[in-house]
Amino acid sequence: MKKLVLRLRDWPPSAWIFFAWLVSLSVLPFLIILAMSFAVRSESGLISWTFTLANYERAFHLVYLKVLAKTIFLSLGATITCLLVGFPVAYYLARATPEKRQMGLMLLFIPFWTNFILRIYGIVSIFGNHGLLNQTIMRLGLTDAPLEILYTRFGIYLGLVYNYLPFIVVPIFSALEKFDLSLREAAMDLGANRWQTFTRVLLPNVREGIAIGSLFVFIPMMGEYVIPDILGGAKEVFLGRVMVEQFFTMQDWPFGSALASVLSMGLMIAVWVRMRFEQRKAGPTSHGLR
Amino acid sequence: MYELRCESLEKSFGSFALQPLDLAIQPGEFFSLLGPSGCGKTTVLRLLGGFEQPTGGRIMLGDRDITRLQPHKRNIHTVFQRYALFPHLSVFENVAFSLRLKGLAKAEIQLRVDEIMSLTEIGTLADRRIHQLSGGQSQRVALARALVDQPAVLLLDEPFSALDPSLRVRVREEMRTICKKVGATFILVTHDQEEALQLSDRLAVMKDGRCLQVGTPKAIYEDPSDAFVASFIGPVNEIRGELAETQPGEWTVSSAMGTFKVRKNGIALPRDVSMLLRPEKMRLLRQRSNTQENLLEGEIQDLTYLGSRTEYTIKTHDNVFKVSEAELERQKKRLLNRRDRVFLTWKTEDAILLPQSAPK
Repeated sequence: MKKLVLRLRDWPPSAWIFFAWLVSLSVLPFLIILAMSFAVRSESGLISWTFTLANYERAFHLVYLKVLAKTIFLSLGATITCLLVGFPVAYYLARATPEKRQMGLMLLFIPFWTNFILRIYGIVSIFGNHGLLNQTIMRLGLTDAPLEILYTRFGIYLGLVYNYLPFIVVPIFSALEKFDLSLREAAMDLGANRWQTFTRVLLPNVREGIAIGSLFVFIPMMGEYVIPDILGGAKEVFLGRVMVEQFFTMQDWPFGSALASVLSMGLMIAVWVRMRFEQRKAGPTSHGLR
Repeated sequence: MYELRCESLEKSFGSFALQPLDLAIQPGEFFSLLGPSGCGKTTVLRLLGGFEQPTGGRIMLGDRDITRLQPHKRNIHTVFQRYALFPHLSVFENVAFSLRLKGLAKAEIQLRVDEIMSLTEIGTLADRRIHQLSGGQSQRVALARALVDQPAVLLLDEPFSALDPSLRVRVREEMRTICKKVGATFILVTHDQEEALQLSDRLAVMKDGRCLQVGTPKAIYEDPSDAFVASFIGPVNEIRGELAETQPGEWTVSSAMGTFKVRKNGIALPRDVSMLLRPEKMRLLRQRSNTQENLLEGEIQDLTYLGSRTEYTIKTHDNVFKVSEAELERQKKRLLNRRDRVFLTWKTEDAILLPQSAPK
């Protein structure tokens, strides 16, 4: 204990700021949520501090598991799409001249100068039944009825991809930027065609960037509330929406907290497993033959 | 084993142009492209490797035109300047890379990788990661990786430049031994003339996109085709003068320093010539000797003792000469010091005669 106190005193100010931030805005709120998840909702909608596991029992009910599965499915799909679109964008930027690169990165984030809610409503004005897209294709006589894009699962997916795409580009971009192009030439020189060069040399060397970028978008997607609320309509349920509903509509904070805890713990375990996996890989290798 | 031929190979980009290049490199030969940076030697290597497309001419490997062949379809491998080893793979997997692509059986891959790793003496490093290797080890891994699927031609892009100078000579010797064992054709790109002389069966000296001379190290050192080649391959002293035939078959060069006898080989020379003398072909005399034909008087301005030899800077009345004397020679004489008066002499046949180049 004394040792720890001494060590705390040796921390530089930057570490203190980080520590303070971590505790007050991340660890503490999480512990409060965790504590609430074991409490009981009182008749009046307040929290009564009696220990129970009932919230968790309910959280693992089939209805909620289905919501979870749907949320994972949509977030995973959107993450993969972000990856497929984001990778070529990152590749182009990493290989562009410094001026083009700076310009490209700025353009990528210009939409973020606009308020998030406004941007989502922007999507509505493009993809809605009376939106730009449907008006155009109907005028052109391509369809008689407007395409149902909004208030469907596809609408949520579209919103997720649109909003999170830039965040996956940046980590992949920085990994690609560090990639030594002579490795590509070496692979081709040793007999690898373009595809083999990509899969056997480029991808393994930027894997870390891809993993970080994917987590960067996947985790916040899982908890997304605004996008499914505006673009998903009434019938499409998404974990984030269910949680918010529990807190603000149903006034059931303990159950909402249980749902939030399950999600957070699940993600933490997933990240932890991945880190362990990486550590094992970084150690001395065996080449599979011995 | 195939002969590798460049037939009027051309490449231009930006302000650089590789002049039509004709080269025929024999199977199993160790051939070097030597020249200062920007001379086009790396361009030639990249054309041979398939990383650049020529703007003219063609490359033949045996009877096969490989000019337009993609790098991965050529039976030519490269050892890159900074080795370009794959950081995500172990040493073993780096070496096995080309064999895995060919889909060989595990047992055969194991056999061939083991064989090449013991030849290059990296057998104990199989499980290491690339970032755990020293410079010399990285170089051997790069060499093993390029040699493992028995390429017809191996291209070496300044493979020693990333090594400590103290390591270079030893690694070069080992490289030469390995090359002779493997029996492939080796093409080395370098700006280090010592490297080229030590390793090559033949070499080409390049400058400004042009190939100036092709020949054995000895031929290039002793019989350079122009002043640039002569001075690039090793230090020279120059005496400019006028060539004259005093009697049939007897030639002299008259300069401000005196008149010297020369031996003229077949080539036609203009009246204004340069006489080039290698430092180690000149001798120092304590006293004027009447038997010596070519004699210059001077004073020792500086001397550097280098163990096996001593290098002198001799100032004559209007020129400065570099003279290198083997230690054995030196021991026979009284030690020379700064400011000593000495006479310089050389054998007539050791002077290289070339047309005068434009003054520098």
